[in-house]
Amino acid sequence: MATRGKFSYYVEPRALQVADRPRKFLAAFAAVLEHGNYAVALDSYARLVARCGRCAASCQLYAVTGEDQDIPCHRSELLLRVYRRYFTTAGLLKARVSGASAFTLTDDYLDRMGEQFYRCTACRRCRVECPLGVDHGLVTHLARWLLAEIDVVPKALVAAVREQLEGAGNTSAVSVAGLKDTCEFLEEELRDTWGVEAKFPFDVEGAEYVFFPAVSDYLLEADTLMGNAAVMHVSGGSWTIGTGNFDGINYGLFYSDRMFERIIRRLIAEVRRLKGRKVLVGECGHATRSAWCIPAYAGADPPEVVNCLEYAWRMLEAGRIPLKPERIPERVTYHDPCNLARVGRITEEPREILKAICADYVEMTPNRTRNYCCGGGGGTVSLDEIRPFRTGLMGRKKAEQIRATGAQLVVAPCANCKKQLREVCEDHGLEGVKVVGLHELLLRAMDFGVAAPAAAAGAGLAAAGDSSPTG
Amino acid sequence: MHGWLQWLQGPVFWAALCFAVLGLARRLGLAVAQIRGALARAGDRRVGYRAVWRGTVRWLSPAAPLGARPLFGATSALFHLGVIVAPLFLAGHIALIRDAVGLAWPALPNAAATALALAAVVAAVALVIERLASRATRSLSGFQEYALPLVVALPLVTGLLVMHPAWNPAPYEPMLLLHAATADLLLVLVPVTKLSHVALFPVTQLATELAWHFAPDAGAKVGLALGREGEPI
Repeated sequence: MATRGKFSYYVEPRALQVADRPRKFLAAFAAVLEHGNYAVALDSYARLVARCGRCAASCQLYAVTGEDQDIPCHRSELLLRVYRRYFTTAGLLKARVSGASAFTLTDDYLDRMGEQFYRCTACRRCRVECPLGVDHGLVTHLARWLLAEIDVVPKALVAAVREQLEGAGNTSAVSVAGLKDTCEFLEEELRDTWGVEAKFPFDVEGAEYVFFPAVSDYLLEADTLMGNAAVMHVSGGSWTIGTGNFDGINYGLFYSDRMFERIIRRLIAEVRRLKGRKVLVGECGHATRSAWCIPAYAGADPPEVVNCLEYAWRMLEAGRIPLKPERIPERVTYHDPCNLARVGRITEEPREILKAICADYVEMTPNRTRNYCCGGGGGTVSLDEIRPFRTGLMGRKKAEQIRATGAQLVVAPCANCKKQLREVCEDHGLEGVKVVGLHELLLRAMDFGVAAPAAAAGAGLAAAGDSSPTG
Repeated sequence: MHGWLQWLQGPVFWAALCFAVLGLARRLGLAVAQIRGALARAGDRRVGYRAVWRGTVRWLSPAAPLGARPLFGATSALFHLGVIVAPLFLAGHIALIRDAVGLAWPALPNAAATALALAAVVAAVALVIERLASRATRSLSGFQEYALPLVVALPLVTGLLVMHPAWNPAPYEPMLLLHAATADLLLVLVPVTKLSHVALFPVTQLATELAWHFAPDAGAKVGLALGREGEPI
């Protein structure tokens, strides 16, 4: 059961039954300020925000809609206003002096916030443009958590987290038997189609890497996963998949730090159980960014976090991934997932790999730290009910960018971006464009010392538009 | 008239200056305390100080603001340059301070200071016009956003008129009085408005960085505080 009406996304029925919401929201706000690290940022934002409009000029949504509500600064002001009024001395004094005319948090105001903070993908492109370092993505992140404490949160996100923490143990409800079946099938596919004996090793104690892709990859991105396994195979990497937890997705990042820390602790527990030394994250942006937070939760000797792009580039550079002499002929472009690229952490590795394996690699502009979001960031890609907004408005800039490159293949090393970009291409008439994983291309380019059947090129692409949750 | 001027240039000025300095120091102190608290709570204390530093000093370059809104950015850069440099390096001001406390530093030629101050006044007015002209900034702006650039420009305007009697339609002394009064007003406003970025600017990028350094048990504690800890999802 889901309810729509108040919001453009589905919420659970209980969201509409919560009473006394303003008081509860403020109680949550007070608790978060007390125990979390947000006060230092909110305090300086609330005091200094320059309202210079630079964030508007950098927002891909505002560029398309031109609506005031879509200016990042405007949206953040919704929360900063509450902060000023209820959590600063000046605000409390002002409210006392102005009496009834003072700003008061109301149910309507909360509903507006509920709608607004899901019109932002928290891509943080505007952060780069803000002279005062205001991070509107942070404000969105925090506002969503506070809203979740009064149950204003998209049903798709809660349902996935419930499945992960209280149900099957992962967001797509994949059983261990199902997982093993899938991997066996992929091993056969690797052997029969590609001529490589790569394995998906399960529960190997003491393996160097414990692998956490977005679990949806097991359902949707067979070629990317085969590429992951092939890279581990040829490079002789010691890795394993834990049957206790094999999902890198952490939707807590999108709506609740409470969930975020529970999910991340489960992941750490699995690495500890397997006595693994490192976390290898699959092609997934937010899973990687979440995993980067592991040191905060893992205590002494935290496992190192490595994204599969970093691993693959390191191996390729070391000459441990043999490549075929012929390069991939199609025109290829690369989409930077915000969660990897915005802070400049992973931008060059994938490019180096692509330049090594593609004959016609082109950049889309802007790129790297100033890339445009796919339009489905911040968990919004899981909300099928807002697809017209996601692809039509939020994804329009991306569609224009892709079209301008003339590329046939768009590489998006993120489960979230892949699903969104396929829908963007579909909805914007980019028919000749295929969205692929980087490891999918790498698989095509790797030389396994046998003549792989040519039919394998581009085979087995997952169907676009599948509504399973992705990362 | 002379008594008033002495009063504004003397006790009132010192009071305003103390209010500004102490106010900013208090704000800065609070920010530092918050930062230390955040660092203590953070589970991962490795902070990307280098990136924070780069992100901060990047905005000190006059070319930095050009990116997203070139005209607004250039106007703002010019405004900041004039507002900071002209009064601090004006020979007349330096002489006043030398007489009062014995400190002195090299001055700009008066012509250069005049040019900078003029540019800043023009930029202040331009900032307000540009703010009004663009829909995005118009929708974001309130009273402070329009008033502050003009309030900052007031001591510059009056200062220019004091320095250049030929431009001054009013008698010298009242204008000097106005100059001192507007400068004192500005000092008082600095710590209580967003002008406090003069001191807090170095803190903001770090504040953002630290906010992303989650406190490892913040979620559980919030759950406990709200009585939702054991609640099914």
